[in-house]
Amino acid sequence: MQKDNAQELAQTRKTLKELLVKELSLEDINPEDIKDDEVLFVEGLGLDSLDAVEIVVLLQRNFGLEVKDLENRRDIFYSIDTLAKYIYENRKNI
Amino acid sequence: MNKQEKINKKRGNKLGFWFFRAALQLFGLPGAYGLLYFVCLYYLLFDRPAVSSSMAYIKRRFKAYNAFQKTLCVYNLFINQGKNLIDRYYILSGLGEFDIEIQGYDKIQNLLSSSQKGVILLTAHVGNWQVTMTVLKRLEKTVYLLMSPEENMAVKKTLSVDSDNEKIRIISSGNFLGGVIEIMKVINEGSLVSIMGDRSDGYPSAEAYFLGEKADFPYGAFSIAAAAQCPVVILLSAKVSTRKYVADVSHVIFPRYSSRNKKHEEISAWVQEFAGVLEGYAEKYPFQWFVFRDLWKKNIEK
Repeated sequence: MQKDNAQELAQTRKTLKELLVKELSLEDINPEDIKDDEVLFVEGLGLDSLDAVEIVVLLQRNFGLEVKDLENRRDIFYSIDTLAKYIYENRKNI
Repeated sequence: MNKQEKINKKRGNKLGFWFFRAALQLFGLPGAYGLLYFVCLYYLLFDRPAVSSSMAYIKRRFKAYNAFQKTLCVYNLFINQGKNLIDRYYILSGLGEFDIEIQGYDKIQNLLSSSQKGVILLTAHVGNWQVTMTVLKRLEKTVYLLMSPEENMAVKKTLSVDSDNEKIRIISSGNFLGGVIEIMKVINEGSLVSIMGDRSDGYPSAEAYFLGEKADFPYGAFSIAAAAQCPVVILLSAKVSTRKYVADVSHVIFPRYSSRNKKHEEISAWVQEFAGVLEGYAEKYPFQWFVFRDLWKKNIEK
């Protein structure tokens, strides 16, 4: 059971990386180059607030998450790892 | 205290405000306006940063003018800015009201009634947006103003925002991720969000032709609208007589990406459309341009 959860979380991270590269048009970056614990905004991947807009849309469209639940959740948007954990725990089947 | 704060402090001290308040209460609007001619002359002679930031606009708006005529234009700009500040205090202190005509009011009402979503009001530091904002209370929707933490206090005082009874609230651009998630949330709830579209000040920006040269404008409003699937309504106000303002909300842009690969091109086109509307405004009301930034600077340095 624990192994299944770990596998699902790893799959969520992989999907998330692929979606970020595709939806944010991150040129010269391969999904597998993004580290799980890499900081997403400003440092690390260097995303900005307008990329956050795209991420919110991506989370709504692909994982059924709602904007109102994402407000003031600085912790979620820290890295791929934190984002994937949140998706894993809160995703809705769409 | 940073350089800008020092300049602002020098420009508006307590004695100065007291002087204008007293003139307004004793002699009314015309009396207070009269004082401006002396005060603005002082700023024209001694406030070099203010003159220089205004000149960037004046020299492009009035290309054929000589240096003396351009300086007179800057003086005129300062006087009109002073009138705006007096008008704001006039309303705030309950001394009287202005007649405010909204052009395109039906359009914004229709947009709000035909969708569950709100709209983005894209505005600029022209005319007197704080005064016209009070009229948007008629829409009976909450209006959120996106602004930097340092602008918050001044605007809170003018519009008495964030109190329980008020329909005008502030989203600070100093919040996490510049407040964009909060903006998307309130738009989904059907509210209006007012965003300034003239000063890029380090925010992501795109180039557009403005008064004949490439200038920089922030594109956040369009990016958010495309994501939130809401319209962008351009709101520009102007003082047309001593006691009358006009606010125009008739120009609406519906930002939607046609494909992922064309995002930058499409954003540039929307920014150019906005710059075109601003240029029309500058043609019509040349002395109500209170942006006080050199929008062309980045492109000159390139």
